[in-house]
Amino acid sequence: MARYGMLINTKKCVGCFACRVACQMANGLQSDESFIHFKEEETGVYPNVHAEVVPVQCMHCENAPCQQVCPTHATYTTDSGVVLVDENKCIGCKYCMAACPYGVRIAIKETGVIEKCRFCWDGSEVGNPPRCVNTCISGARVFGDLDDPNSDISQEIAATNARPLASHLTDAKIYYVR
Amino acid sequence: MSSNTTRRGFLKGAAATAAVATAGICALAPWRHSEAEAAGNVVQTPSLCNGCSSKCGLVATTVDGKLKTVEGMGDHPYSKGTLCGRGHGTAQWAYSDGRLTQPMKRTADGGFEPISWDAAFEEIGQTVKGILAESGPEALAIIQDPRPSGKYYSKRFINALGSANIYTHAAACNLSKESGIQQATGAQNFSVDFGNTKMVVFIGRSYGDGIRPSSVKSLAQAADNGARIVLVDPRLNNTNVMATDWVPIKPGFDIALLLAIANVLVTEDLYDHDFVEESCVGFPEFAQQVAQYTPEWAEKLCDVPADRITELAHALAEAAPACAIESSWRAAFGCAYQNSFETARVVCAVNALLGSWGQKGGALITSSPKTGEVDEVKFPKLPKVQAKRLGDTEYPLALSGTGTNLAVLNGCNDGTVQGVFFYNSNAVQGYAQPAKWREALAKAKLVVTIDVQMSETALASHYVLPECTVLERMELPEFIGGKKHYVAMRFPAIERIYPDTKSCDEIFAGLAQACGVGQYFDFTVEELADAQLATVGTSVAELREKGIVELPTAKFEYGTPAFKTPTEKFQFTSQAVADAGLNPVIGYVPRLVEPAEGEFYLVGGKQSIHSHTMTLNLEALNAISREHDMQRLWMAASDAAALGVADGDTVEVSSSEHAGQVSVKVTERVKPGVLFLPTHYGGSSQYQSRANGYGLNMMDFIPLHLEPGVGSTMSQEVAVKVRKVEA
Repeated sequence: MARYGMLINTKKCVGCFACRVACQMANGLQSDESFIHFKEEETGVYPNVHAEVVPVQCMHCENAPCQQVCPTHATYTTDSGVVLVDENKCIGCKYCMAACPYGVRIAIKETGVIEKCRFCWDGSEVGNPPRCVNTCISGARVFGDLDDPNSDISQEIAATNARPLASHLTDAKIYYVR
Repeated sequence: MSSNTTRRGFLKGAAATAAVATAGICALAPWRHSEAEAAGNVVQTPSLCNGCSSKCGLVATTVDGKLKTVEGMGDHPYSKGTLCGRGHGTAQWAYSDGRLTQPMKRTADGGFEPISWDAAFEEIGQTVKGILAESGPEALAIIQDPRPSGKYYSKRFINALGSANIYTHAAACNLSKESGIQQATGAQNFSVDFGNTKMVVFIGRSYGDGIRPSSVKSLAQAADNGARIVLVDPRLNNTNVMATDWVPIKPGFDIALLLAIANVLVTEDLYDHDFVEESCVGFPEFAQQVAQYTPEWAEKLCDVPADRITELAHALAEAAPACAIESSWRAAFGCAYQNSFETARVVCAVNALLGSWGQKGGALITSSPKTGEVDEVKFPKLPKVQAKRLGDTEYPLALSGTGTNLAVLNGCNDGTVQGVFFYNSNAVQGYAQPAKWREALAKAKLVVTIDVQMSETALASHYVLPECTVLERMELPEFIGGKKHYVAMRFPAIERIYPDTKSCDEIFAGLAQACGVGQYFDFTVEELADAQLATVGTSVAELREKGIVELPTAKFEYGTPAFKTPTEKFQFTSQAVADAGLNPVIGYVPRLVEPAEGEFYLVGGKQSIHSHTMTLNLEALNAISREHDMQRLWMAASDAAALGVADGDTVEVSSSEHAGQVSVKVTERVKPGVLFLPTHYGGSSQYQSRANGYGLNMMDFIPLHLEPGVGSTMSQEVAVKVRKVEA
């Protein structure tokens, strides 16, 4: 069984928002509902400055905090490590929003379900690749099986020394090159 | 798209299905089993994006006739399988609540009321005939931002009426840069061979902000290969993640930096003697003139330390010929300053000294394919237009393919122009000071705007004719040049949502009929497309199946290119420039407007999610702007501290022309003394609720004045004052 993860290389991300809008269309989200959030970071003092855009979305954590607090078990993890929400079980209590250290769970206005990135899960399988990866103009995103040492993502993580955004918080499946 | 096989499979299905869109984008969530199973008919259609001028290839997926997603076409040289954010956003245009849905006519009180197509055509035709009878065809003009059908039909229409007055948006975009490159090299643009380059210098342009996906990919690859990537820009732009160097510079003084690099290359004998001696004219005069432009001289003007300029020159010489100064687009010398045309020539001169023209990793001049002659019976040739285009005498360096559209503004003011058409052009908001455009157009007898939305230009018109949106229409083939040649085509992916909208070809055919020249438009866009494609060995049917076809006409080889100048050499001197009353030898020209004590330079620039002013009202893209407060004015932290301005505070910006208020982004990413304002905001059309009144329009602040020789709008020749607005 695969264990899916993603790599985001902020040294290649110019902040074009293609991932956000492609995701919104594919997942039927409204214009002001987004599974992908963007943090603009600026470090240094003129003229020695570095700026980067850090796209943040569900990290598909092992032992996901949002799953642990869910009173109805609406949030669950598939055998392939993808954290999903069963919208028939979600009661919209927002405990998961409070528990998520990354602040990436959002309330869908139409249904009241507290949703998030699903790696473009289509009901039985992840997107191959997910829309955000498919449209990334600079190749900043890589998707694949973290347990397969020969997968593109495993190779790229090794080559770039990519790390989760905040490994002290959760065991995340999205790795960042920064 | 993973393969053509899949696409063809879907397209066969498309032929058998009459898909009818109702309203709203297809909003089903794919993980909901019941919806997915009930999804019905899925169709994929190849087409072209209209999010910017790149016209990337895309594949649109519809479900039961409603657009679901778009993807970049894998074989298209600009999209290379991906689309940027505005590509996805503008694909949704058909469903936008800000669309024009029927023809409109201005009323006596300045409002607009619906009018039928028949009545609109009839009234416009009568007025055109009146202008022709009274003042002749020279009193008519058309301005367009080129699109595949628009560039053909608008030219054919105005020429059929006997007028040569066709203009593009270029005077407010890339006219100075293209004209400067033409005078030096004979071509109007060049590319950098990113796959092999060792060093590239960007002057103001940011691939990460004015996006073409293939350019970003190429640059990312160059960065991976270890190329040195230098950004010369008063602002640390979004390309910085891939760059090695940021050279903050005083706006409008890029020319001084470049001349000083040339000075070092010449005085230290680091230039390519073989290229200069065999392939250039005017080098001795240039070398003599450039001797005075030392790095120390440049430092005083551009505020880049002389040592740093010298180091850049040495590094370029070391990397030569696998290096280049990038050609740019609008950015810092497309139309910005009094010296923009000359800056473009200096860019070319540095590349000549480096011997990088045509070399691996250097500056490449490539060719473009075009359609051959089509059947003259079905598509009759027009009588030759005798008149000269307005503005060409005063601005002889304006390109033949673009002209200077500001000649129309001047022509309205002095009465020589009485009828103006706009296609896919929001000139009033973006080409020069809006108040001056409105004043000029108010004097015309007839102003007609063809657009998908009620733009500021539409508001200044007598008639507004609604075009259907990008994925609702077929357009003429788009020929794509470069190392390889291609042809692609825009196909409709969805049925027209509003029956009272028409495509570009239908609108011009209707106008032509009403104006008495309908005999030149007695064919459909598909008939002409097929005829054009037949001349290059393909067909509408093949493009409908494949989306894009490679043509065998490209003959690119590395090596010194054939310079298509009058001298057939690279030109350090130009007779045409002398004839325009300017210094024929490539040299220094200062910027025009300098800030006084306490004033600021003001520079503009693109953000990746918007194109000019046209995308600001689109829901998906406007939402991003608002979430991130992207309309803000960027101010250096040190300037903000001195003015007592905190991040998010409101300031009033004022120039000789205008004052307006906007909130501030306090940042270390901009050179002190310089303010940056994104150039998409400040909409003033009440018909576009999200754009209206959101942010400032930079052009409001710019005095109306034209760059000598080319007639560009000098979009950054301004000094502004700033004061904090107390809450």
